[in-house]
Amino acid sequence: MSDGFATPRGEALLEVHDLKVHFPTSDGLVKAVDGLTFSVRRGETFGIVGESGSGKSVTCLTALGLITRESATVEGEVLFKGRDLLTLSNDELRKVRGKEVAMIFQDPFASLHPMYRVGDQLVEAVRVHDDMRKGAAQERVVEMLSAVGIPRPRERFRDYPHQYSGGMRQRAMIAMALLHNPDVLIADEPTTALDVTVQAQILELIERIKGEFQIGVILITHDLGVIADVAQTVMVMYAGRSMELGARHEVFGKPLHPYTWGLLESIPRVTSKGQPLLPIEGSPPSLIRVPPGCPFHPRCPHRFSPCDEERPAFKDRGGGHPEACHLTADDKRTLWAEREAKRAKIPA
Amino acid sequence: MSSLAEPRTTADGRPGGDALVSVRNLTKRFPITRGIIFQREIARVHAVEDVSFDIFPGETLGLVGESGSGKSTTARLITKLLDATAGTIAFDGQDITGFSRRQMRPLRREMQMIFQDPYSSLNPRQTVGQIISAPYAIQGGERNVRRRVQELMDRVGLNPEHYNRYPHEFSGGQRQRIGVARALALSPKLIICDEPVSALDVSIQAQILNLLEGLQRDFNLTYLFISHDLSVVRHISDRIAVMYLGHIVEVGSAEELYDNPKHPYTASLLSAVPKGMGETHRRVLLSGDVPSPIDPPPGCVFHTRCPKARMVSGSPDEVPENCRTEFPPLGEVEPRHLAACWYPLKAGEELRQAAHR
Repeated sequence: MSDGFATPRGEALLEVHDLKVHFPTSDGLVKAVDGLTFSVRRGETFGIVGESGSGKSVTCLTALGLITRESATVEGEVLFKGRDLLTLSNDELRKVRGKEVAMIFQDPFASLHPMYRVGDQLVEAVRVHDDMRKGAAQERVVEMLSAVGIPRPRERFRDYPHQYSGGMRQRAMIAMALLHNPDVLIADEPTTALDVTVQAQILELIERIKGEFQIGVILITHDLGVIADVAQTVMVMYAGRSMELGARHEVFGKPLHPYTWGLLESIPRVTSKGQPLLPIEGSPPSLIRVPPGCPFHPRCPHRFSPCDEERPAFKDRGGGHPEACHLTADDKRTLWAEREAKRAKIPA
Repeated sequence: MSSLAEPRTTADGRPGGDALVSVRNLTKRFPITRGIIFQREIARVHAVEDVSFDIFPGETLGLVGESGSGKSTTARLITKLLDATAGTIAFDGQDITGFSRRQMRPLRREMQMIFQDPYSSLNPRQTVGQIISAPYAIQGGERNVRRRVQELMDRVGLNPEHYNRYPHEFSGGQRQRIGVARALALSPKLIICDEPVSALDVSIQAQILNLLEGLQRDFNLTYLFISHDLSVVRHISDRIAVMYLGHIVEVGSAEELYDNPKHPYTASLLSAVPKGMGETHRRVLLSGDVPSPIDPPPGCVFHTRCPKARMVSGSPDEVPENCRTEFPPLGEVEPRHLAACWYPLKAGEELRQAAHR
């Protein structure tokens, strides 16, 4: 891509261009995703962060063809290795989904069938795409269970999901996703349901397999700490739109959007000594009545005349760190410096 | 362990002052039964084991631990929503361990709870006014209920004109404010907050945390703050107790505990938290999962996963004898900093990775 987006390394695997996903409902049109552009490269962890209802999950479900034109108005392009996934037929999609693009979900309890053995569910996943004999498929599964760190995989193969702990179930889901050597792994809140010590194990595992299998990972989460820890590139979403996108150290070190500023000032940090929390006023908008102009303007302390009318373009204003805000680069620098100084001054 | 009669109790290392809540050797085991008519007890869940701590007036005691560590059971035991298997609970100098429901009723004014899920903790068929005034209907003692409720709504950041609205008309953060107002209604001394911000988005979470801090200052409240989120607990707590498999393994001031953890479990837990902002840090990955509380390991419950025990023995497969056989007492390692470990970490000591994962 030539638009100067933060580009770490490797070929672009998944390119999303101006994606729009609108659901017609009896209450009105839900604009879940409204004009999103980003690309994911091989060997990169691309983090999407946002609050509930910001469109993170819908973006990825659409990319996988799980939200179709029958249930929603889908516009834009999702190019996977040059092919537009949005134009593929169901049969063609099925060959991509689970094979070249795989996904793991938040809830490892709900993602496995409770009445089938874990191993058999994975064998089924192997044989959907590969015409393989059962014995060979079983071998492949045992190998993969062992690769994701399930102890005694040959015995655990025969267990039912309830005999697995939460962390092991998520490992089994990752094993299932990796069976066909995908190019892209989409992880939708993969650690939200897990305890921190198990979360650390799973993040470590995703990081390791990313290197071993040379894949691109899309990590969706509401947890800024997780994103800051493992993602190379970060996209901040709000009300179905991208607020800013850049390399991790750019977004966390020199954030450009007032929404990102608000998020960073809202989180207590385990390393900080009682810094005050400066929450964002109000709450996120309904996706049926997204405010005109910049969707964040009603909560933004720095809003001015065009903000409530004119939607700011999402573009790179230099530095490979595109964002959507009417403020000038100089304004931003001054304002962010002022906010940081103010925060440092307030006694805890 | 000091007796309850002594005012200067140091069971968890804070000298001076009379504790508002004093818990000693608190134990709760839930029987698992089999059979329909004759229910035989076949096993027990060891939910809380021999837990002792104090909560002092005006402070926030944070209780952290992973799921199943016994945090919420401890809260339910203190409020007498559950009866303890063993141990004593004193509230404001009064031993309430054997209190009946009737005896507890006047005390319910003094201790209130805020729950995790603002969706299921509010009755969807009652208006906000009814929900917040319910404590007055039960306890009485308020003449102008409506005015008082509207004052409370205003104080927690709700529009008092929304008195007649229903919970579904509010967002998650506003619902949690309703829960806070209800807990405040009777001017309690102690509020037990059980994961009050875990279900909320970060921007809203900060609003509620600031609200709770402001209320504590204004009304001199005492909080028992339960959470699995270590960053949140550190932000709000004066002192923190860490639980693992029903035991308190470490207690200390928030600063001390985070800067200088003594128990290997606390150290591993802290290293597992994403630090953010690209700060480099080394995670101590614990091997495996938390063991089942039905059949907890003998000796120190953490010995099956403990990296320090393996450092002491010098082998990834061995742990020292005393770790396997005897639970270490919760003792003062440094002034006002207690840990239950045979080999507590020294200042600056780093845990090495357990060899097997």
